[in-house]
Amino acid sequence: MSTAGRPTPGFWEAASAIARGMATVFKQTFRPDTTERWPAEIVPTPERSHIGRHRLNRHEDGLEKCIGCELCAYACPADAIWVEGADNDPENPVSPGERYAKDYQINYLRCIMCGLCVEACPTRALTLTSYYELSFTSREEAIWTKEQLLEPPPPLGTDPVDREGR
Amino acid sequence: MTDEPVTLTIDGKEITVPAQTLIIRAAEQLGIEIPRFCDHPFLEPAGACRQCYVEIEGQPKLATSCTVRVAPGMVVRTQETSELAREAQVANLEFLLLNHPLDCPVCDRGGECPLQDQALAFGPGESRYREAKRVYEKPIPLSPLVNLDRERCVLCARCTRFCDEISGDRFIELFERGAGERVSIAAGEDFRSPFSGNTIQICPVGALTSETYRFVARPFDLTSADGVCPHCSAGCNLRVDVRRGQVVRHLARDNAEVNDAWTCDKGRFAFRYPDDPARITTPLLRDRGLEPASFGEVLGWVADRCVGSRVAFLTGGRLLDEDYYALSKLARTVVGTNDLDHRRHEGGAVEVWAASRPMSVAYADVERAPAVLVVGLDAEQEVPILHLRLRKAARKGARITVVHPRRTRLHDVAAHVLCRPGEEASLLREAVRGAGPLASVVEELGAAGGAGVVLAGERCSSAGAEAALALARTAGARFGYVVRRANDRGALRAGVHPRLLPGGRAVDDPAGRAALAPLWGDALPSTPGRGRRAILEAAAAGELDVLFLIGIDPLTDLPDGALARRALENVPVKVVQSLELGDLEPFADAFLPAAAPVEKAGHVTTWEGRRQRVEPVRGPVGLSRPDWEILAGLAAAMGGDLGFETLDQLDAELERVLEAGLGTPDAGAVEPFVGPDPRGGEEAPTAADPGSLLLFTYPLLVDEGRLSARADELKAALQDPAFVEVHPDDAARLGLAEGAAALVTTEAGRAEVPVRLNEHLAPGTAFVPFNNPGLVAGTLLAGSFWIPAGLEPATVSRAREASA
Ligand code: SF4
Ligand code: SF4
Ligand code: SF4
Ligand code: SF4
Ligand code: FES
Repeated sequence: MSTAGRPTPGFWEAASAIARGMATVFKQTFRPDTTERWPAEIVPTPERSHIGRHRLNRHEDGLEKCIGCELCAYACPADAIWVEGADNDPENPVSPGERYAKDYQINYLRCIMCGLCVEACPTRALTLTSYYELSFTSREEAIWTKEQLLEPPPPLGTDPVDREGR
Repeated sequence: MTDEPVTLTIDGKEITVPAQTLIIRAAEQLGIEIPRFCDHPFLEPAGACRQCYVEIEGQPKLATSCTVRVAPGMVVRTQETSELAREAQVANLEFLLLNHPLDCPVCDRGGECPLQDQALAFGPGESRYREAKRVYEKPIPLSPLVNLDRERCVLCARCTRFCDEISGDRFIELFERGAGERVSIAAGEDFRSPFSGNTIQICPVGALTSETYRFVARPFDLTSADGVCPHCSAGCNLRVDVRRGQVVRHLARDNAEVNDAWTCDKGRFAFRYPDDPARITTPLLRDRGLEPASFGEVLGWVADRCVGSRVAFLTGGRLLDEDYYALSKLARTVVGTNDLDHRRHEGGAVEVWAASRPMSVAYADVERAPAVLVVGLDAEQEVPILHLRLRKAARKGARITVVHPRRTRLHDVAAHVLCRPGEEASLLREAVRGAGPLASVVEELGAAGGAGVVLAGERCSSAGAEAALALARTAGARFGYVVRRANDRGALRAGVHPRLLPGGRAVDDPAGRAALAPLWGDALPSTPGRGRRAILEAAAAGELDVLFLIGIDPLTDLPDGALARRALENVPVKVVQSLELGDLEPFADAFLPAAAPVEKAGHVTTWEGRRQRVEPVRGPVGLSRPDWEILAGLAAAMGGDLGFETLDQLDAELERVLEAGLGTPDAGAVEPFVGPDPRGGEEAPTAADPGSLLLFTYPLLVDEGRLSARADELKAALQDPAFVEVHPDDAARLGLAEGAAALVTTEAGRAEVPVRLNEHLAPGTAFVPFNNPGLVAGTLLAGSFWIPAGLEPATVSRAREASA
């Protein structure tokens, strides 16, 4: 863009532009602070928000709701889920019916928290929780296993070393 | 009825098709897909599912397009232009789904299910049915391989029609009518057909599922490649599916020229061998206590021992054409020997004939033939897809005659002439003279005017195969030599043979050597080498320095059990190139890890002589390499050069050798010659001793072969422990009873096996499977697949031993 032909601004015009800009700065300086002091102080998330890691749910009788169908894995746009099905032992079933998930993993280096997997799940086995405190020090740690996902998330703010399964 | 092509209109488009074409096929040619479930291009029309409704102008009711054949001037409207047809299809889908459990999430078909796909494409979005659905116990195993879920069945009768029309193994049937109609099997019966897996693949829903693939993967998990079955010479086209690097499934690929849409159960279910824990994927050296070593070290070590030494090569029958060619060239041009062999049976002059011809009889010729003579072949057990083609020919009216010592599963469609093994030659020669039980067959073949077919199995001995070839010539019939293992024919073509160079040229024919000289040089060894038996004898006698074993275990795969062991004990250097060591572990001095068939590209040749391309589904595991690469590496380590560095270069050279006039000697020039191992051509000895029977053997489809490793479900379904079959008359004479143990004694060894009576066995013979659990029949043999044997009740022999 060329500035040729535009008149050089006068002193008062320039001064007023600066003043308007500085006014915004002063206004912000004295507004109440909204920075959260996480992790020293944990602000609860809204009740229906699902912005954190997944959870695999159980039926009331303790059987897993997941039937190892892989629909979540198919729905996932980030290819973050690995499922391997297997045949239930009728004497000692893991889930109701014929099929259960022998292996179930979610890779949180890939997951973008879109929730499509939850929508795809035909048994409501998979839901998202509000537990957003995902931090890893290695690739392996970012891949959550079925055992970990079956556990309810700990309260927010739990020290990573105390976290279940870590 | 005329055979004039018919012109009709479908959805306003005109098309001309052969008379008798079904409307649904004609529509396919126009690219119009009519939904269907029961229709299958390789089965007879049934009209069972009512999904394929179309409107035909001038007809009051809708018609099923899979059963109605085209007529001149017919005007057909499919769902694309007819509201009526569309509504009927939607209604029918809703009807089919009434009792369907819709348990797609737990169903193995989910993601690749015609019912799912078509419900999505053509069906109503929602069901109006709110009542309770029909409930059955699920799944019920029809066999250790096949599970049936009756709730999901749409009663299309594809499975039952397959068993009826194609395999002839009628184990399953549709029972009852109406809402209670269901697929059933007789109580206590197993779906014991070697073709049962095909019903799983053609079931249009998840009603028939495979035990080996149960809940294993979804379609999007799989990486697939176009393979060719490594199990037999039928050459079935397969789709090989891999999940996370492991082979999890084989499916049939449609190829109307070869396997139609079928495979046998071995090809379908014996797929775990490349991932067998016993597989070894690093080179090993005995000097280091059989510890891993680098390829360079092992090849160098082997090369040092091969230079200037007496080396012989034995191979199995399942390498690729390229591997065989590399070996043939290495042996002749670098090692300088003709001591190489792949054969278990010797076919004499017929081998020259098979090695020099690309295709003699194709499947299509078998299917079209009005008369077929099958000699020395149990097609169902040895080349199962050929068995299906023979049945297809029979359905079209072919007269089939089988000459074999034991009745085969073609018995309901073919006449059998039971003869003692080795007697084929004299029977056939007699028939050519117009006498004996086969005289009328020669007439039938002659009357077929060139369309008759004679198939000689590799087991009929060189004399038998030559007599069959002579008979075919007399009758003007086509002749096919049916080898058994997946690439026996390719090995013959490539010259892994002590007397034959690639293309069937004789090593002692200067013209043959000269023809190869531009590619192979002119210093080829010109004296015929030793065959398999002679190699083992030389090894046992200490006349060999290095024995190279490629994809073969002579202890179990050859009819030389005891001799093979002595050979291994007396050769200073044993090199094993294979997937694993197995029994050879105590003997191997060096091990070279070969890539599995699913890991290499190349070609295999069917029994017909058809060369088919194989694509790898994954790379070689660990340090394993394709056999031809290892052999080229060895050549380099020995200071030679095979002249190719890539598969493409090798293929181009092989093609030149096979096609470019090098490999087509004049058919008439084939003179019978005596094989290097005269036993191969020998007539069966007549059992003079009344206590002695002629024991013969061949591998049954599902045995303990190494490529069936870990195919546990397949073995549970189709394999029996070892047995010895005897004719009831012989059994009565020898005091043998069904189920009781018999002691079998031959000059080579002895074994105790339970007796089975079989009245459809040539009297005076006894049959044992070659390698079923409990008996490696090679230990009873001395070079050929038959041998005189004494049989007596085991109790008698034990009592005798106790008293002695
Ligand atoms: S939330 Fe989205 S990205 Fe994460 S696992 Fe589910 S589908 Fe995949
Ligand atoms: S979580 Fe749900 S969608 Fe995923 S495998 Fe389990 S049942 Fe299927
Ligand atoms: S089991 Fe499958 S193939 Fe057989 S009738 Fe039912 S739906 Fe058809
Ligand atoms: S018939 Fe032969 S080639 Fe075909 S699947 Fe069976 S074993 Fe494999
Ligand atoms: S496909 Fe025509 S009736 Fe089934």
